[in-house]
Amino acid sequence: MHFRTKESMTGYLSLLPAFAALAAIVFYPMVNTFYHSFTKWNGAESHGIGLRNYTLIFTNGELWTLLRNNAIFLLSIPGILLLSLVVSVLLFEEVRGWRFFRSLYYIPTILSSVVVGMLMKMMFAQSGVVNQLLHALGLTDGKTEWLTQVPTAFMVLIFCFYWQTLGQGALIFLSGLSSISHEIFESADLDGAGWWQRLFHITIPSLVPTIVYFTVTNAIYCFIGLFSLVYAVTQGGPGRETTPIDYMIYIKAFQTPDQLGYASALSIVLFAIALLASWMQIRLSNRFQD
Amino acid sequence: MASRRALSVRLIVYAILVAIAIVDFYPIVYMAVNSSRTSVDFFQNPGGLPDAWHLDNFKALYYRFDVLRLFGNTLLDALLAFAVTIVLSVPASFAFAKLRFPGRSGLYMIVIATMAIPGITFVIPNFLLMSRLGLVDHPGSVIIIWAVTAVPSNIFLLVALMRGIPNEVLEAGKIDGISYVQTLARIVMPLSVPGIVTLAIFNTTGWWNDLFTPLIFLQSDDLKTMTVAVATILKRFDTDYPLLLAGLFMTSIPPIAIYIALQSYIKKGLVIGSVK
Repeated sequence: MHFRTKESMTGYLSLLPAFAALAAIVFYPMVNTFYHSFTKWNGAESHGIGLRNYTLIFTNGELWTLLRNNAIFLLSIPGILLLSLVVSVLLFEEVRGWRFFRSLYYIPTILSSVVVGMLMKMMFAQSGVVNQLLHALGLTDGKTEWLTQVPTAFMVLIFCFYWQTLGQGALIFLSGLSSISHEIFESADLDGAGWWQRLFHITIPSLVPTIVYFTVTNAIYCFIGLFSLVYAVTQGGPGRETTPIDYMIYIKAFQTPDQLGYASALSIVLFAIALLASWMQIRLSNRFQD
Repeated sequence: MASRRALSVRLIVYAILVAIAIVDFYPIVYMAVNSSRTSVDFFQNPGGLPDAWHLDNFKALYYRFDVLRLFGNTLLDALLAFAVTIVLSVPASFAFAKLRFPGRSGLYMIVIATMAIPGITFVIPNFLLMSRLGLVDHPGSVIIIWAVTAVPSNIFLLVALMRGIPNEVLEAGKIDGISYVQTLARIVMPLSVPGIVTLAIFNTTGWWNDLFTPLIFLQSDDLKTMTVAVATILKRFDTDYPLLLAGLFMTSIPPIAIYIALQSYIKKGLVIGSVK
């Protein structure tokens, strides 16, 4: 056999198992979901109903609550971005023991969202340690019901999100900082630049690609990664007030009879959002590469 | 004067770092300390220290929840899924990194794009497929889903690392006349060990912490993985905080231990892709 053809054959055969598996478990089922998003489907039988699932999603008002819930998490990203940035800039000064702090901050990131959620749920319970502390400090009467009302339930969920993400953020920003060349800092020192000038004119501009990466990956997480946390802490309640889209798909598909078509349509809406976010990531990272 | 100012700045920096460290680490200490209390002792003073250290909660987990079986289930599922995902990912990564054939970059783009697909978009048809195959409530479904959905990101990381294998080594193998499978087994796999270790850490900790897949596909208590068991079985006892905390604590030990033992691999793996 000709050498080139042989190499090509080897290449295709090497890819075959991976692509066959992806076709069976990802690509075909995705097409299937897309097809069934236009049907009323109970798992066994389906009949086409055109765009009815989609019109229902966009008109029954539910989507806006779900999107609002996702948007609240999205709006919390600048806070954790700033916190991670501050922590990593402080650690980058190489205060004694910075490695220790870095490792300590990373530990919550390793824990499962279920563990984080259930742990925080206990700490924020009415008889829990947070209320006890706030009462001891004289800030509240110590009887706040964090999880049964809306702004506070979100505060607990966002606290969990921050608690999980800080370590990862600090680690990513520290590696971004360490890739800035020392010469730039040294020449800035020679030019007599102060600490703040260095921060705003060198450090932060050089971190822009890392900031974009951190923001977009967390934005995607806020749409497709919240399931476990919400399951563990609020189960989407009170009512549907803390239900994000992915949790709603789970409810419609696996907890409600005969809603598989509607759940499929909602999955396609989520897919479109994820696609948009990834497209933005590619656009932004190309733009900030130079 | 200058040094006194530097000292006070240093103190402020430390104060901030320590304050964050306390908020970050207190919940873990809380979990560890309260997991060895009786619930009576706990409810008298939830924020304090125990009057005596008990191992009763861990004993209860062992006898009533068969915690060893749950650990065993998770470990077995993760090991099998890892074997499958490596068999699928290594040849494909090698092809993308080192072989030349028409359509290579297009196919690679498809794999990369697959990483952006939310798992929830293909779970309903897969659930119906698995139930037709009799694999719902069988570890096979979880193993297959875990293994295949990990393939795109594994290929992404392995391709980046395999590009670094010197072509001379591969040429030498070709001259010695070893077969393709031997090339993969004797040259590519051994040279990719750091990458494969990194994948092992990321995949298995990810699966260990995964709730969604085992929650949907496994129903019997004796098949569940540790994380889903905590979220479902243990949650039924959610008034017994110390017992629940003991369960959470046990679930957290393996990933923390892996992190402490293999920190350098984790940092390397996290950084790939994030920094240009």
